[in-house]
This record gives sequence, structure tokens and C-alpha cells, in this order.
Amino acid sequence: MSKKVLIIEDDKFLRELLGKKLSTVGYTAILAIDGEEGLEKIKKEKPDIVLLDLILPGINGFEVLEKYKSEPGISSIPAIILSNLGQREDIEKGLKLGAKDFLVKAHFTPQEIVNKLQMVLG
Amino acid sequence: MESLEQEEELQKKEEELRRIRLAFLNILEDTEEAKTQAIDEKNKSLAVIKNFTDGLLVLDENNRIEIISPLVELFLNQKEEELLGKNILRLSSKKTDIKSLQEILKTGKSKDIKSISRKEIRLGENLFLEVTVSHFRSGERKGTLVILHDVSRDKLVERMKTEFVSISAHQLRTPLSAVKWTLRMILDGDVGKINEEQRDLLEKTYQSNERMIELINDLLNVSRIEEGRFLYKPEAMQLEDVVDQVLGDAEDAAKIKKIKIKVERPKSLLPLVMIDKEKMVIAVQNLVENALKYTPPGGRIAVSLEEKNKEALFKIIDNGVGIPKDQQSRIFSKFFRGSNVIKMETEGSGLGLYTAKNIIESHKGEIWFESKEGVGSTFYFTLPFNS
Repeated sequence: MSKKVLIIEDDKFLRELLGKKLSTVGYTAILAIDGEEGLEKIKKEKPDIVLLDLILPGINGFEVLEKYKSEPGISSIPAIILSNLGQREDIEKGLKLGAKDFLVKAHFTPQEIVNKLQMVLG
Repeated sequence: MESLEQEEELQKKEEELRRIRLAFLNILEDTEEAKTQAIDEKNKSLAVIKNFTDGLLVLDENNRIEIISPLVELFLNQKEEELLGKNILRLSSKKTDIKSLQEILKTGKSKDIKSISRKEIRLGENLFLEVTVSHFRSGERKGTLVILHDVSRDKLVERMKTEFVSISAHQLRTPLSAVKWTLRMILDGDVGKINEEQRDLLEKTYQSNERMIELINDLLNVSRIEEGRFLYKPEAMQLEDVVDQVLGDAEDAAKIKKIKIKVERPKSLLPLVMIDKEKMVIAVQNLVENALKYTPPGGRIAVSLEEKNKEALFKIIDNGVGIPKDQQSRIFSKFFRGSNVIKMETEGSGLGLYTAKNIIESHKGEIWFESKEGVGSTFYFTLPFNS
């Protein structure tokens, strides 16, 4: 069975591009357009990993991370932050909240993001 | 006969007395004039001070406040009569952080009478002052002149500019990510085969986009330095580690240009330096990247680390294009690029050395260079050891 990756990303084009790339390399991509939908899908779909944007309409990525990391049953699902923030304060905050990695979108190609996913998924 | 002689004598004396009297009167007049002039002069000086648009304090040699301009009352939040005659080092204030001002006066007190020191302090929540302290001597009197220049507005504008750059840089990254991801996926064949000509064009487009992303990173770095939050967490570490990391990253680029990088360092480790590693990497990276960029293929670069005058000295020598002499004074200014390198059509934002200088100086180090156009450049920087 292919692994399920939840992409929480508000930019439609980026979300679809990444979804397409993940499907090409054999993952099942689940898409969420904001924090609320993301949280819902983490609970309902129990993905193997979450790709999380930070600046989102409504609750932001940090809050999504904080919420689901404190809920039993889903708290062990790993998350990789994929954002265009990238100052040291943001990175440290993300890692402290339990993210496995922090990737600046503009610095990684889709393939490099896949490689990072594979590293976390083992 | 005798009386006639006596009379003549008397007349002479009288004449003399009259002259003396006149001389005295003249002297008296001069003194009076000088006195009036002195009073005039004093009033003029006072008028200048009282109408000064900066805060101005004159201290005697025991740091007692002699004269102030009206703005000082506002800055220190105290009335003139509360200030005059008081020792400024013993003043206290609830509303303003007067300690920061006292620190400067304490440390700036050097024996050299002509010494002038200038520093920026924050006196209140939104009150930033540039303080200039100069010691003077007039005749037997010694004293100190303190000028408080309000730079709060400049600070505010600077912060707004920085925030603007920061936000727009982040916002710009999103569409650039979309372009990068799309082009990469097409180039990687994720959406079907492309022919060689298409690949070539798309690859060049991808590189242009990468350049844009780098430019935005440079802008972000610059705005963060100016924000002052640049020195985030200095830690004691080996400068060698920073240099090794940067040179490791530069290996590929050097190989492509067939440039040899020679590294020289003392056999034993240098003493530790206090550095914010993330920033120091940027500074060293900028120097190494410049050397690589402006040295023709097949050239040589030599990097060395050594201990000198109780400081760490970093040196990078290249035999590249050099910096034209008439432009050397501007090399560290923002957006500066040499006319010879602009003609070479190399890419660059003109922010690298500006950033490097800011980083080195915020680590209390110094940066300088020697260069000759067509021969090469050597850049140096020092960092004090962690004592």
C-alpha cells in the first residue's frame, strides 16, 4: 500500500504541483487548503506524514502542529514544515513544536522534497 | 628766579598728571568696553545654546551640569532647575533610562582632551538619541560638551523599511517557488518528454529564477542585519569550523572553474572566538564566493587562518580581476559593484561585502582589503578571541 501524504497548502498551484509530483513517485497525496481542513484530515485520514505550510488563512501552521501534536492517537504522525518563512526564529519554533524538518519552499525542488519525505518515512 | 623755576616745574607736573589721568580714563573706557563685549559674547553663546535644536549639555570637570539647552529637559524629563549644578553621573530618573547615558560619560572619559566619542542610546521606549561627547579645555578650565541628537524618527523609518523588505521578500518567494517547481518537474520529465532545444531553454530559465531567489536571500540578509537582531546567539567556537564548512560548500564551484584553493592554518587549533555561526558563515561565504566569481578559470585562491595580536586573522588571496583604484573607497557600500565586474556580466547584487562588513563589525572584528586591478585582491578580517 502506498504511503499517504497530507499536503496543507493554501496556494492552489503549489498544492497541485506537489500533489502531482507525489503521485508520480508513488505516494497517495491528500490535499487541504487551510489549517482547519488540515486538522480534520489528519484525524480522519491518519496520513503517514504531513507537509505543512505556515502562513495559512485562519489558524496558521504553527497552531496546526501544536494542536495535533497534543492529541493522542495522531500526535505521532510526523510533520515536515514547507514554508517561505525561514528566519531562525521561525525554524526554531517549528522544530520545538515537533516538526521533523523545516524546508524553505524556494530552496527545494519537488524531487528534493520527496527525498526529505523518504528520509523521514524510512 | 627760584619761584619762576618752581612754577615751571609745577606746570610740567600738572601736565604730566593730566596725561596720566587721560591714560587712566582711556584704560577705564577700554575695560568697560571689554566687559560689555564679554557680556555680549556670553549672551550670544547662551542664546546659541538656548536655541539649539539638539539637546546640549555643558559639564564642568567634576561632571556638574553648567548649562543645558531646553531640549535636555524634554529628553531627561526633568526641569532645568532640577538639573543645574547636579553631577550628571548621580542623576536618577524613573521615566528615562538615564543609565545608558551615564555609561557613555563614564567610559568616554579619557585623558586625551580632544577625544570625541559618538554612540547611539535608547533613552525611552520610542526615544533614540545619538550622543556625542567631547572634552574641551579653555584656558585653565576643563569640561565636557554633550550633544544629544534625536534619531527616533530615523529609527522608525528604518524599522518600517526593514519590515517592508522582510514581508515582500517572503511574499516574492511564493511565486518563485511555483516557477522553480514547475520548471524542475518539466526538466525532470515528470510531465512527459521534452526535446534538447526545449531542455536548453528551460534550463536557462530555471537558472534565471534561481538567481532571483538568491537575490531575495541577499535582501533578507541585509534587512535582518539592519534590524539589529542579527547577532542572535553568539557562542564560543572554532573559526576553523566555519571556514571548513564554507570551503566544503565551495568545492564544486571551484572544480567547475578549475580554480585551486589552497588552505593554510596553524598546526594547533586557534583559541575560541565568540560567533553567531549562521551569520559568520554568510560573511565567510560572501568572501569566498567573490574570490571564486572574480577569478578567471584556472586561477588560484589561498585561504589562511592565523593568530595575530591576540586575534584571529582570516585572509583570502585571489589572482582575479581586482578592484579599480578609484572605486576602492566604496567597496563596502550597499549595492556597490565594480565597473570592471559589471562589464564581465557576472551576477551579483552588490550586497555581499556590505553584509560581510556588518557581520564582522557586529562581532567586534575588522575587515579590510588590498587590491590591484588585473592582479588580484586580498581580503582580511580579524575577530577577537573569547577571553
